[in-house]
Amino acid sequence: MGSRASTLLREEEIEEIKKETGFSHSQITRLYSRFTSLDKGENGTLSREDFQRIPELAINPLGDRIINAFFPEGEDQVNFRGFMRTLAHFRPIEDNEKNKDPSGTEPLNSRNNKLLFAFRLYDLDRDDKISRDELLQVLRMMVGVNISDEQLGSIADRTIQEADQNGDNSISFSEFIKVLEKVDVEQKMSIRFLH
Amino acid sequence: MPRKKSDIIVKMEDVGMEVDGSVTSDSEENAGRKSRRNPKPKSSPAAGRNNQTAASRTRRKAGEEEEEEEEEAPRKAKVSKRKAAKQHDSDEESEEDRRSRAENRNAASKRQKEEKNKKDKENVNGRAEESGKENGKKSKRRTKDGSSSSEESDAESVSEEEMARLKEEVEEKKKLISTLRNKPWRMRRRLQCLKDAQQFVEKFEGALGKGKGRKLYAFKVMITKKWIKFNRDFENFKTACIPWERKIKEVESHFGSSVASYFLFLRWMYGMNLVLFGFVFGLIVIPEVLMGLPYGSIPRKTVPRGEQAKAMDFSVLFEFGGYCKYSFLFYGYYNNQRTIGPLQFRLPLSYLLVGVGSFGYSLMVVIRTMAKNSNEGGDGAEEGEFTFAWKMFTSWDYLIGNSETADNKFASITTSFKESIVDEQENQKDENVHLRRFLRVLANFLILCSLGGSGYLIYYVVKRSQTFANMEEEELTWFEKNEVEFVMSLLGLVCPPLFETIAELEEYHPRIALKWQLGRIFALFLGNLYTFLFALFDEVNAKLEREKDIKNATIWAMKEHYSNFSEFNISLDATMPPTLDPADVLRGPCWETAVGIEFVKLTVSDIQVTYLMILLGDFLRALTVRFLNYCWCWDLEAGFPSYAEFDISGNVLGLIFNQGMIWMGAFYAPGLVGLNVLRLLTSMYFQCWAVMSCNVPHERVFKASKSNNFYMGLLLLILFLSLLPVVYTIMTLPPSFDCGPFSGKQKMYDVITETIEKDLPAFLATLFTYAANPGLIIPAVLLMVLAIYYLNSVSKAYQRANAELRKKMQMQRDEEKNRRNNKDSTNQVMKDLEDLMPKKSPLSTSGKDAEVRSEPDKSAKVSQKPGSVATGRGVNLQKDVSLATANPRVAVSCPRGPGPLPGSTPLQASPARRGRGRVHAPRR
Repeated sequence: MGSRASTLLREEEIEEIKKETGFSHSQITRLYSRFTSLDKGENGTLSREDFQRIPELAINPLGDRIINAFFPEGEDQVNFRGFMRTLAHFRPIEDNEKNKDPSGTEPLNSRNNKLLFAFRLYDLDRDDKISRDELLQVLRMMVGVNISDEQLGSIADRTIQEADQNGDNSISFSEFIKVLEKVDVEQKMSIRFLH
Repeated sequence: MPRKKSDIIVKMEDVGMEVDGSVTSDSEENAGRKSRRNPKPKSSPAAGRNNQTAASRTRRKAGEEEEEEEEEAPRKAKVSKRKAAKQHDSDEESEEDRRSRAENRNAASKRQKEEKNKKDKENVNGRAEESGKENGKKSKRRTKDGSSSSEESDAESVSEEEMARLKEEVEEKKKLISTLRNKPWRMRRRLQCLKDAQQFVEKFEGALGKGKGRKLYAFKVMITKKWIKFNRDFENFKTACIPWERKIKEVESHFGSSVASYFLFLRWMYGMNLVLFGFVFGLIVIPEVLMGLPYGSIPRKTVPRGEQAKAMDFSVLFEFGGYCKYSFLFYGYYNNQRTIGPLQFRLPLSYLLVGVGSFGYSLMVVIRTMAKNSNEGGDGAEEGEFTFAWKMFTSWDYLIGNSETADNKFASITTSFKESIVDEQENQKDENVHLRRFLRVLANFLILCSLGGSGYLIYYVVKRSQTFANMEEEELTWFEKNEVEFVMSLLGLVCPPLFETIAELEEYHPRIALKWQLGRIFALFLGNLYTFLFALFDEVNAKLEREKDIKNATIWAMKEHYSNFSEFNISLDATMPPTLDPADVLRGPCWETAVGIEFVKLTVSDIQVTYLMILLGDFLRALTVRFLNYCWCWDLEAGFPSYAEFDISGNVLGLIFNQGMIWMGAFYAPGLVGLNVLRLLTSMYFQCWAVMSCNVPHERVFKASKSNNFYMGLLLLILFLSLLPVVYTIMTLPPSFDCGPFSGKQKMYDVITETIEKDLPAFLATLFTYAANPGLIIPAVLLMVLAIYYLNSVSKAYQRANAELRKKMQMQRDEEKNRRNNKDSTNQVMKDLEDLMPKKSPLSTSGKDAEVRSEPDKSAKVSQKPGSVATGRGVNLQKDVSLATANPRVAVSCPRGPGPLPGSTPLQASPARRGRGRVHAPRR
């Protein structure tokens, strides 16, 4: 598997991925071997079923939303580039990256992009707002049938009431950022990829 | 070539793959690459896929910028020319990439650029060779190791991309230093810049240095990485070392933090008792057992002749008579030798100091914990801000991959939501204040009545028992003999549920209700304690009376013995009389041991009752409910008996009173502490098991207060109450004349004065006599009272300031929110006005409508997904779809309006907010 990974992946492609995502060379090859091992259909792309075989995602109440995040709109296959692009959100922010490149485009693993990724998990219809019904759906995934509908409704209402600042009964991205201001997103939404 | 080949092997190992793949030489590699570029049909499936992806890659590639293409061409040429290893190639190219980028950004002068390029080329070549050597060395080392551990990856990471990047940065900084003089900056900024750059260069130049510096740098980086890893592991280890953390978390996830707070309290108690156990066993029991006289050497360590026949009977041992009574478990066993063993260990002194010291330690620990808890509870201000939002967005732990853990997490999220709901309901409750107040007063009155009644009942029964005690044993019936115990246990059985029923009237938040309940039952149990102590003191006084007689009798007997001896052995010139066998010596009742036995018995019976109650009340009930339910007329699980809830107040109070017994009894029965440690240990496992297997969560799961200071307060009270009798006995009652470490002294504390006189220098003794002068003590006490008063007032002032600040912060936040909202609303008015204009509105609304129409389908599609996951989480598909269609955007056309659902009265948004919502609802 591994040896194939290195021979299958072209240098130029690695370079491009490196530039786009900031992963190191060895990380990319390592993740490629992971990619191929996930790829049970052996066609160079991953389907939703492939992702659902990962126990962490299968158990996660938001697993489907996370898996969805890997797929571009309207498609149900993702290739290695797309896979890496999504994973790049979880690359830890390194110290020397913080002050580097203030003028250039924001790297995928910046705090804002991490938050945006999380926001999209809740924003089911991609209208850049988390509405009450979206919250209700997510809540239902999280607590199942253990809490009555009425109570779930009041939880959703309270959540919106807390976060909503402009009174439109939904949570926009800026409000979402405000809510998670004190949460250490940089650390929590990072995966220590092996070097 | 061999070295390069090994390089490739190294790389493969690093990535964590098998080496059985063919190691191709460079030319082959290049050929392979070329062949991949122009797709050729091949037989193997892998190759086929390869081709596919390659094709797609080339397709994508076409769309990319020319710049890269241009860059690629010379590089390829270079590759074929130099036949450098793949890795060098990548290194170099990345560096070139970066450098060019950096140069563009910097836009330095052209001449400089040229110069630099030259320099770079030289540098790169030199470095490439060097890194090749380095890698060669490394590969040798690694093949020795032969494993793909993290160490290698650490070392590898030093040498690869990081190197390139660092090198580039260091170069940049160096350049900066050299050109800093010409920069049109202020001096201060220049200096700052220079300092930073120099520091950086100093730190990382090692990475570029030749030979040693580089190795040193690599070593440093490796060490830091190792250190970080070690720290992380150590943290994990520390968490793993916290005893029962997992068990408690599991209970907490299913039963809420209130039940968990009991187990936390139990664990804390266990820790404290372990320390007490260490004191008592280390300083009293073990020295006596190791260095003191063995069993049977003196009367106090021997079972009397009359009891010896039965001394090993289980019934006797179970009552802590026989061999138990004359063992190190009890006070009487200890000898009054001033020093024992070769270490000259002063056992009596140590006994007294440990007895007093364990109280001191307990007091200190309890008070410290209380202070710490109140500190922690203090800064809960910011928590109120986004409770629900945080729970919503951050509660899931994305690293959970184990289904059991996931179940626990689900349960804990659910319980935490439930807890928050209960809290919220309590906050939002609008009520009839007068009725509530009246009911609360009534409830308190009722409870006071019942407490007073039970108090009088206890008093009456105790009085009666005293008259019974003076009567003949035969005249009494069984009931009359055990009347006190009977009444006590009856009260203990009846009153707590009664209080709970009365407390229903008050409608407190369950957390506050629990506190009230605890306080009331505590008051009831105090009666229990009072009767027990009352009986005990009576017994002690009786024993003291008897002791006097026996003391005289023994003195007389000894005299007799001696006189007999001298009478019959005049002819012999033996000076020593034959010693009496220790079992035959006449001895006193030894009231201390009796008290100790009482406490041990009480503790043991308490353990028995608790465990039996768990087995019968919880386990058996759960079993019957579970299995009889198959063949019963009504639903046992949902109906009348159902499963038991975990009785927090009863268990906490049981624990607290048990601890009180330990504190009181430990002085007279050193073994009691060991017994208690065992009890707490077993009860941790037993109760955890019982709660998980036979109990159901409370109907209203509520969050425990962050600091369980209420438990601590009760504990402190009990500590004081148990301190009093012990100190009283130490200070006033004379110790038994023939047992225990203080025998032969007037008072127990004489040990201290004796030590001061005999072992300490004379001036210290005089110092102590001065210190013990009431003229000194009274001012000291006064001073302390003053200090307490001062500190109290200071802390109150701080509290007030804190509250003030908190209020200010809250006000500021509200103001900000209001301002923002107002701005928006005024804007909205403007927008509404704009909407009224004939120009834009039709267009925008039609666009929105289209969006609305498309949305329900999409969200419905999305919500199909959760059903397809095989988690069995019971997500109701139909409901989801219906919910998804009930989008507020659609709801605009419905009569219901966009506000919260009608069912959710308690948590509704404020009317103003809703009003605003309605204002701009039609706009959409």
